[in-house]
Formats: sequence, C-alpha cells, structure tokens
Amino acid sequence: MAELDVALIGAGGIARTHLPAWTALGARVRVYSPDGRAPALAREFGQSAAGSREEAVEGADVVDVCTPTDTHPEITLAAVAAGAHVLCEKPLALHPADAAEMAAAAGAAGVRLYPGHVVRWFPAYARLHTLVTGGGLGRVAVARFTRTGRYPTWSDWFADPARSGGILVDQMIHDMDIARWLFGEVVRVHARQSGHLTAPAPEGAVATGTAVLTHATGALTQVVGVWAPPATPFRTTFHIAGTGGTVRHDSLASPGLRVVGTAGQGAGAAEGIPSGDFGESPYLAQIREFADAFAGGAEPRVSAADGVAAVRIAAAAAESARTGRAVELAAPLAADGATDATPEGASA
Amino acid sequence: MKVAVLSFAHVHAPTYIELLRDRGDVELLTADPGAPPDDPDRGAALARRLGVPYAAGWDEVFAQRPDAVVVTSENARHRYLVERAAAAGAHVLCEKPLATSEADALAMIDACAGAGVGLMTAYPVRFGSAFTALRRAVADGSLGALVSVHGSNNGWNPAGSRPWFGDRELAGGGAVMDHTVHIADLMDVLLGGEQAVEVYAQANDLLGSEGADVETAGLVTVRYPGGVVTAIDCSWSHPKDHPTWGGLSLTCVAERGIVEFDAFPRLLGGFDSATARSRWEPGGDDLDAVMLEEFLGAARTGRRPRPDGEAGLRSLRIVLAAYESLRTGQPVALPDPRAAQPS
Repeated sequence: MAELDVALIGAGGIARTHLPAWTALGARVRVYSPDGRAPALAREFGQSAAGSREEAVEGADVVDVCTPTDTHPEITLAAVAAGAHVLCEKPLALHPADAAEMAAAAGAAGVRLYPGHVVRWFPAYARLHTLVTGGGLGRVAVARFTRTGRYPTWSDWFADPARSGGILVDQMIHDMDIARWLFGEVVRVHARQSGHLTAPAPEGAVATGTAVLTHATGALTQVVGVWAPPATPFRTTFHIAGTGGTVRHDSLASPGLRVVGTAGQGAGAAEGIPSGDFGESPYLAQIREFADAFAGGAEPRVSAADGVAAVRIAAAAAESARTGRAVELAAPLAADGATDATPEGASA
Repeated sequence: MKVAVLSFAHVHAPTYIELLRDRGDVELLTADPGAPPDDPDRGAALARRLGVPYAAGWDEVFAQRPDAVVVTSENARHRYLVERAAAAGAHVLCEKPLATSEADALAMIDACAGAGVGLMTAYPVRFGSAFTALRRAVADGSLGALVSVHGSNNGWNPAGSRPWFGDRELAGGGAVMDHTVHIADLMDVLLGGEQAVEVYAQANDLLGSEGADVETAGLVTVRYPGGVVTAIDCSWSHPKDHPTWGGLSLTCVAERGIVEFDAFPRLLGGFDSATARSRWEPGGDDLDAVMLEEFLGAARTGRRPRPDGEAGLRSLRIVLAAYESLRTGQPVALPDPRAAQPS
C-alpha cells in the first residue's frame, strides 16, 4: 500500500497497540500527547513525536485518535476539517449526538471515519460472525457475553463516568457492538451496574455491569462486564444458543501455550490489554484493513454508522442504569454520508 | 418411615422414587392417578418398572397414613396435594417452583404451619459440597462483599417428554418459571434470605416450542436490597441431542475475588464412537440424595427443613415479577422485602 502519514494522538495503552501496527505496515507516524509521553513512545518504535496536535495533524493522511473518550469528538472533528481520514478508538463518543455528528462530518468532508471496535478482529469473534451469518447456529435465540479484566486504574479517566462513561460504556460497548454485528439492531436495553463506579478508583477496586439487549429479531443478548483487582487475568467468554445448536468460547480455556510454575512474580498481560491468540495481533489486522480502506480499498468490517449505533446502545445502557428503566431504541438515526447501518448478521 | 411420592408428572419423580426405594429406612408408597393411561413413563407402568408399590388414587394413599410425602405433580397442582398432605399430618417435600401464584404458595405455607408439619421446597443445587464451600466463603467474609453474580441454568426443553411443561396454566410459564428459581434459590442462600427488590426479564420462543405455548429462552436480571445484581440465563437452550440434560453455573464477583461455581461439573470427557458424540460423564455430588436426606431428617425429628416454604415463596416472587416485567417491558419492583424474612 502507499505509505501513509499518520498522526497518532495519545500515548497511553491503546496507542501502544496501534503504533507497532502502523509501523509494521510501513506508515510514517508522528505521535502527539499532551501528557509528554509521546517522545518516549515514538522513540521505542522508531517514529517521531510532534510538539503540538496541530503540528501532528498538519498534512497527515490519517489521524488515529487514542485519547480519553470525552475528547474524541473535538479531535475527530478537527482532523476531519483538516481533510484527514480518522481511526477513532471506541467508543466514538460518550453521546449518540456527538457520534452522529462525527460520522456526518466525515461523510460531508469525503473522508473515512472508522471506530476501533477491535474485537471484530479477534479470531474467536471473527469466526463466530462467520458461523452465525452462515446460518451455522440456525435461528439465534439467546446469547451471553462476558468480559473480565483488571480495573483500569493506571489512568485516572477510566473510572470517571463523565470522561469514559464507566464500565457500561467504556468496556461493555465491545460486546454490545459484537451483539449488534451478529444479531442485528437493538430495540430495547436494560442495564445495571454495581461496585466502585466513581473516580478515583483505588487499586483493588471492583466494578461490574450487566446489560440485557433485545434485538429487533426477538433474540436476546446478555452482556456482563467486570473490572476487578490487578491479579485478575484478562478473560472473555461467550455462549450462544440457536435452533442449530450452541457455540461457546472461553479465551482462557484452550491456550496454544500455557506457562505455569514460573519463578518470581511473573508479570501478566500488559495493562489489561489482551494479547489475543498467537499469530497476528488483532490490532494489526484491524489497522491493516483500515489502512487499505484509507488508501482507497474495500470498506472494512466496521463502519462509522456501526460506531454510532454502538454508542447509542451503550448510552441507552448508561441511561437505564441511571433511571432504573428499560430504554427503547427507535430506528437508527440516519447518519448523513455514513455507510449503511444494516449489519451483515441482521437476517441470522 | 412411610413416604409417599404423589404424582409422576414431574421429570424428577422417577429419580426420587429410586432413591427412596433404595433406602432401608423408608417404606415407599406411590400414586399417579392423573396419568395418561398409555404413557409408559407414568402411573402403574412406571411403578411396575421401578418395582415400587402403587396406589390407584389419592384417598388410597392417604388412607395408609404416610409420615411424609413428595409432591411431584404439575406446578399448578402442588397446592391441592400439599393441603391434603398437611391435613393428613404428613411432612411435605414439594417440587419447585412451589406454586404458580403467590396465593397458592401462601395457602400451602399456612396449611403446613397450621398442621404442624414441615414444608420443604425441592431445591437440590444448594446441597452440593462445592456450593457449601462457596456459601462459607461468602458468609465468613473471606471473599469480601458480593458485587454481582451471573449465572446460567440451561437445559433441554422438558415439554418434549412432559407436554404439561408447555401448558401455561399447568406449568405457570416456560423456561422463566422452570429455571429462574434454581439460581434465585442459590442467591437466597448466599444473601441469607434477603428478598429481591427488583426484577427485569426478557424472553422469546425462537428456539421452537415442542408444541408448547410458553417462552423457551429468557434473561432475568434481579437486584437485591444491598445492591447485588444477579443476571440469569434461564433458557431451555440445551440441544436435545446433547449427552447431558443441561447444567447450572454461577460466577460470583466479590470485592476480594471471583468465584465460578459449576453445579454439574464434567468428570470425564472424550468421544464416544458408538453414539458419534462427545463423551460426558457427570461428576459432583448426588444432589437429590443429599436433599432427600435433609427432608427425611427434618421429618423424623420435627425440625424445620431447609429450604422451607418461605424460601420457595421468595424465589417464586422473583419469577412472578419476571412475568410481570415481560408484560410491561420494564423492571418490576417487588413488594416489601421485610414481609417474607425467615422466622
């Protein structure tokens, strides 16, 4: 592919997964982060740091937004205004209207905006999508997804609902997006959350969320998210039942390699970010698909409209948890210029 | 002790009959007067196959003065038999759910209390040794406070072998009625009998119904006064050609740890070439045997059995609220939680 100039905004955990992917794909990356961590991160991967966001974005083909969620709309809109394509880390925004505005702005400017719903590239979820859309489960009735990891106490903003949306929005949006990708539009959402739900979150804090999504087909999805103490291994599971049988997955159940009995403390996965299966990093696979699309290639498996729809579900979950009521979702907003909102799995 | 198994309508009846038959301290009576005449798994045919005494009608059974009865009739027909047993002075083990309405459950509790006989609800899962260890870890504080719990109780659609499970009148509902109560009872144990305060439910019949007119898949979210949330998958979603009937698992997220409980762990796996399917030898305790031991022990000594009728009522209230939620599409608040604390 043509060499891309990428402005990577942010130098935290997710930037650390994106930068090696861009580097492996031959992109020239300038990293900017207001917290001063950009130079060290850039140096580690042989890339450069920019002194300001404007300097980073100036002339970039792509802006990769890896900042706290509450800053996504402003940075994305500025990037779109500068004529750059945008990869925006999930969630696109905290509020559906902001996400829709981002999608509409990208459409109007003729640039592409993709949300980083990377779970679509994790092998078990990609295979699940193939299975479900191929009819391997028949008519799907009920699905459960769980996602458990350490409480993201390494950065203050995750625990702050005003900045991250809390566990329902920040973490559980992954499986909400997967559920909609697999089973189609969501028409009703109910959610509850418990545990430590405010900033600051001390080391050892626990928060959990539970959401029930009702799809237009009548299919039901339960999403459970857990932020737990530091020793908690990262783990995702799913179980789906249809007229054609069941399918289940446990990310810890069948490792290709299992290491036990190490001497010393034995550090776990870095900062709660899953390393995926052996083989290609899902982050690399995701960014390759986006990079192809930015260079004029085929549309990737996730669109701006998908990102907007995921925010609508997550925001409805947050509203439900706040009000104690189930929230009805109307037909999707028409995001001007955004790509088709109908997921491929809608007929499953 | 004379023990009568009343009705073979429920799929658990043959299991209880065999366990009671094989005990040296039980004189077993059985009756199933409502049985379809040509059903080999009901009535005199089943009793003959299991080699146990059989009475033609309820009057004949109660005339033999049983000390205790096991009620395994259709859910909506529990009340009639429980009231008759109470009037006859027999202790009662009643299959779950205790009843299909709160009025029936209260009448059954009152009848047994008035007659001075014990009323136990048949929730076997709480009797497992692994669950007992979990209960202790919660009770003694070593896990810290519970934050939330998620669990699944999936199984075959029982209407395939017992059509009344698909009859809304007789069963009180489908998968939500049949399976929510097991996990609700485990939570009842873990939370010391705390009555839930709010229930949300969604359900569908997309898996097909085996001719039934009830829901076959459901998700239920229950909130307790202390803030603990429990998310339950109660679906009859287990494939009917799977080597097991289903299972029950529970994950407890607490402040000092996450505990996963499997009530029916797989002891042996592998592949069975004869049936061309996965081999699955179940492990764990014989939960029904331990539950019957508790019932017979309580009946013998006159002490209160656990789980009692009130425990059955508390989990029934959760299910009834779930059906109300299905009607309204909104969470349903339960009535005063202090009204049903164990005495």
